[in-house]
Amino acid sequence: MLKNMTLGQYFPGESFIHKLDPRTKLLATVALIAIVFVAQGFAGFIAIAAFVLLAAASTGIHLKFLFRGLKPIMFIVIFTFVLNLFFQTGGNELVRLWVLRITDDGLRMAGFMAVRLILLVVCSQLLTLTTSPISLTDGLESLFRPLEVLHFPAHEIAMMMSIALRFIPTLMDEADKIMKAQKARGANFETGSILARAKAMVPLLVPLFVGAFRRAEELALAMDARCYRGGAGRTRMKQLKYGVNDLLAGLALLALLAMVIVLNIVHAF
Amino acid sequence: MNNAIIEARDVCFKYEGAAALAVDHVSLSVARGEFVAVLGRNGSGKSTFAKLLNALQLPTSGTLVVNGITPESDDDCYEVRKSCGMVFQNPDNQIVTTIVEEDCAFGLENLGTPPAEIRARVDEALHSVGMSEYAQASPSMLSGGQKQRVAVAGVLAMRPKIIVFDESTAMLDPIGRRDVFALARRLNIEEGITVVWITHFMEEAALADRLLVMDKGRVALEGTPREVFAQTERVLSLGLDVPEMMKLAHMLRERGLSLPEGLMTVNEMAVELCRRRTGAVAARPAPRAEGQAPAAEGRRVIDVRCLTHVYMPGTPFESKALDNVSLHVPEGEFIGIIGHTGSGKSTLISHLNGLERSESGVVFVNDIDLGAKDTDLIAIRHAVGLVFQYPEYQLFEETVAKDVAFGPSNLGLDADEIDRRVRKALAQVGLDYEEVAEKSPFELSGGQKRRVAIAGVLAMQPGILILDEPAAGLDPAGRRDMLDLIRGIHDSGVTVVMVSHSMDDVGRCCDRLFVLSRGRIAYTGTPGEVFLHDQRLHDIGLDVPECAKLARRLREAGFDMPEGIYRTEDVAEAILANLNAGSDDKC
Repeated sequence: MLKNMTLGQYFPGESFIHKLDPRTKLLATVALIAIVFVAQGFAGFIAIAAFVLLAAASTGIHLKFLFRGLKPIMFIVIFTFVLNLFFQTGGNELVRLWVLRITDDGLRMAGFMAVRLILLVVCSQLLTLTTSPISLTDGLESLFRPLEVLHFPAHEIAMMMSIALRFIPTLMDEADKIMKAQKARGANFETGSILARAKAMVPLLVPLFVGAFRRAEELALAMDARCYRGGAGRTRMKQLKYGVNDLLAGLALLALLAMVIVLNIVHAF
Repeated sequence: MNNAIIEARDVCFKYEGAAALAVDHVSLSVARGEFVAVLGRNGSGKSTFAKLLNALQLPTSGTLVVNGITPESDDDCYEVRKSCGMVFQNPDNQIVTTIVEEDCAFGLENLGTPPAEIRARVDEALHSVGMSEYAQASPSMLSGGQKQRVAVAGVLAMRPKIIVFDESTAMLDPIGRRDVFALARRLNIEEGITVVWITHFMEEAALADRLLVMDKGRVALEGTPREVFAQTERVLSLGLDVPEMMKLAHMLRERGLSLPEGLMTVNEMAVELCRRRTGAVAARPAPRAEGQAPAAEGRRVIDVRCLTHVYMPGTPFESKALDNVSLHVPEGEFIGIIGHTGSGKSTLISHLNGLERSESGVVFVNDIDLGAKDTDLIAIRHAVGLVFQYPEYQLFEETVAKDVAFGPSNLGLDADEIDRRVRKALAQVGLDYEEVAEKSPFELSGGQKRRVAIAGVLAMQPGILILDEPAAGLDPAGRRDMLDLIRGIHDSGVTVVMVSHSMDDVGRCCDRLFVLSRGRIAYTGTPGEVFLHDQRLHDIGLDVPECAKLARRLREAGFDMPEGIYRTEDVAEAILANLNAGSDDKC
């Protein structure tokens, strides 16, 4: 039943952001990350956060999904915060605990790092929540295509990603079946020492790999039969096309950048 | 022959490192617009021949002209592949992308077709196979039959002159099979596409224009289905089967009834027999068939009561796999569970040894409640052996002996006992210990692998053996052998539960049937009792054996046929009794 789950965390929708060209979204995400590093004060961060939240709200996706991606990196956020807090020693001392001192510079720096990290993750969450894996792949292929002059295998990489996406549900399903079959023969995957459990995976992994190779071989044959011969001379049914919306998105980002720069200057006195 | 679209002259093909020719001096031609079925046991060279047609392999010697092209250069090969599309066996392994319509576009994209034209042709192809409404769907959400239709659409979009189907229905359930065959037949008739249909199913072959039977890389028999199947003995000796009606005709002829050659369908047989019956006998109320189930039922080794199972409850993907299912299995019986894909068969058998547990309903095995917290599931798995579909895909050890020993060693037995059980289990599945024990399971043939996998379960010496589609994907001879093997295991005292969607198979083996439909038990009873519901069974995607259909037809025509007979021998017996009673001259 694993196969019935949606892949990745894509949330289908019809919003402005959903309908943007995947290349626009990819470039916009990179641009937003750059802007996060341009910002030098909290006023700038507030502007960026407002921008991102506004964008997220427009997609109709519940905010809890946006922040769910933060959970795994919360440890890193806290860790960098604490590190910066105690080891940034310039500026005026605020508190002194035994040998550790917290300064206003340290507090600022720690706050900056934490906010930057959180914004980075939220931006990329927004990208993956609103873009299906397959259009992400298409976008990446199209963006990296110019590099094919330098023999960068953009098409091949995109094809591999797309095949991987296609077969993940199939292989998950197969893993589930093999696991059941081996359990029926008395295999035990759940208890025992780490070593015993690693050993217990052999009856699962060997058939899974053998099966994956068999599938790969058959798929290669099926692709051959349909005249596949790599990226050269290939066309696509769905051409990526920039539209007015993509222009608007770009302008909005430019406006944000301008605002952040202005805020930087104002803030610097 | 200017009308030939495929022309082979002395075509040979040898795999690198192989001793024998896989295709051995094959000469044949296929006319434009023909529907040709290719039969032959596993390893007879059918699939290799298919790959030659598609220029996936090139002949070692001889000439092969496909649609006027003799593939020599790479460019020729692409031209051949463009005009001769191929649909493979495994629906999962030929779909490349995660969206149906993009997969359909794959071939045209490879050919560098302009986007607008791809769009138009993809829409047309999806419409033609009836998959338009699934254009945006993910292939992993589709049924096997639907996936095959997508594969056909992908080929159709390239506007081929020929489509080769390489056992494309082997992994489908009866509904999917009927569907895909009907689609191929329609494309053949309406669009004039030449079809080469490779299959193990005789009922499909019977509907082709012409048959080619391959054996050891050569064409052994050729002709219309009637001509070929009329040579019943020869066809059987080639590891194949003949349609049920031909078998019946053969049997009747052996018993002295002279019937014309080439009766192939139920309809033809019924018409012929009715014509034969001189002096109408008044229709008497037909007596019921004598009960085939043992009068005294054994102890219930499996008892399922009111089992309901819901997958992924509380999510948008929630689905009811089992709905208030109750069934029991008496000790020593041979039980059949039938149903189409998605009817809940697999979920049900997973409950029978505790692989799945449910909130609602109870399952008892040997009077032990599997739902109870303190139940020793290892002991249950010892008592109930479970052989899943395509069990050969679960083999993993370096040698056959080690693989078969996996189950017994999990039971914690000592080395001597394990060795004894491995030998016994291999003997039970008809394999020679000395020959296979030290081989890698991956070196064996498909049928042998499956036997090893079944031995792996038998080595645990279960009192109850459950098999999910044990004959799936085997050729007719392999299928017969497999069923014989399972009957042998049953005769040795094991209670057997066989899941299948072949009514012929369960009819041949089982004492009692449970028909599952959408998670519910639709019918239970002896095969004879169940087959009386032929119309309703057809509606839920199952077919009754041809002889049961014939018996009904004859009964309606006034023959005195006992109700609930379906075995070829019984039907032949009843027909002879009728004809002999009705006429003075004994045919």
